[in-house]
Amino acid sequence: MGLYRCKSSVLLLGGEHLLEFLDGLSTNHVNGPCTSPFTNGNAKIIDVCDILPVGDRVVLVGYDEYKDQLVAHLMSRILGRNISITDVSHLNDVFIGTEPDHVPEGATVHHSALGWMMVISKSLNYAATWNQEQWDEHRVMNEIPFHGHEISPKVHPFSCGLEELVHPNKGCYIGQEVLTRMRSRGKSGKVMLRKLNPVEGSTTTGQTHSLCIERVQ
Amino acid sequence: MDCGTCDSASPVMMVKPEEVEVNLTMTEKAVAMLEDAFGDDRSHALLVGVLSGGCSGYMYDLQIVESTEQAVQELDISGFRVLVPSASSHLLDGIEIDYVDRLMGGGFKINNPNAESSCGCGESFS
Repeated sequence: MGLYRCKSSVLLLGGEHLLEFLDGLSTNHVNGPCTSPFTNGNAKIIDVCDILPVGDRVVLVGYDEYKDQLVAHLMSRILGRNISITDVSHLNDVFIGTEPDHVPEGATVHHSALGWMMVISKSLNYAATWNQEQWDEHRVMNEIPFHGHEISPKVHPFSCGLEELVHPNKGCYIGQEVLTRMRSRGKSGKVMLRKLNPVEGSTTTGQTHSLCIERVQ
Repeated sequence: MDCGTCDSASPVMMVKPEEVEVNLTMTEKAVAMLEDAFGDDRSHALLVGVLSGGCSGYMYDLQIVESTEQAVQELDISGFRVLVPSASSHLLDGIEIDYVDRLMGGGFKINNPNAESSCGCGESFS
């Protein structure tokens, strides 16, 4: 049991019809707290975000390395809408893992598809209880993909174990045609697998098993 | 979490696309259909907008309106008032509004030279 400090971006969105706006751009059905990939026209991942409505605003927790692409993607679609984006990444720490016995006051918690998540002010100096190795081992044993490993701009959601985050009939979103075609034809191309070590080309290496993305016949 | 209501949080710089002066044309068929829809009443206008979403990222949005609160460019095309939101002007410059008369997929159709691709149903573009 533990929590790992992620290299996350934290964006705060304000304005009107925020969930509807995000729903039109993401593969999962966004009508409340959820995890959803944002994909481009080729269905390749721009970022996988946790979407947390907080009051009349929405927090988007993504991967820090993909933040610029995500912001550009969102901003180009705002057009004339009354939507603002504030980057509060430098003010917050994001932890992911398993639910602790005690949740510190002031933390925002979320059941992400990737694990139990907590967003907490940096000023509270909350300490991680898992290091990278422990988090990776937990992910390998539970087949959880993660940013910078299985989840990257080179793959689509079906390739990295995120098929449950692609809603089957939510309506149009960017990348939908490609994903729907793959699903209807039963072709997902490469998929995420957990294999016994040693695994050539693994995306995450664990003590006994590893995760990898491979084409299956 | 720290929601950034303090001074240390900075809004992400919004890069607004440059507004361009929109050139827009309509085919004879589209004009005829608008004449049917409007009759002699010219108090209303055709709002040609763009919404985010759809399979390719942007969707056309055609509405008949009396007025709008959005900042718009107002054009006179064949005697009709056509309103184009300033925020979408860079996506709509040079478009041709056509009307396709068929049972499936018929209706107003927009030919857009700015579109790099469009989805199968033709409702969205990127």
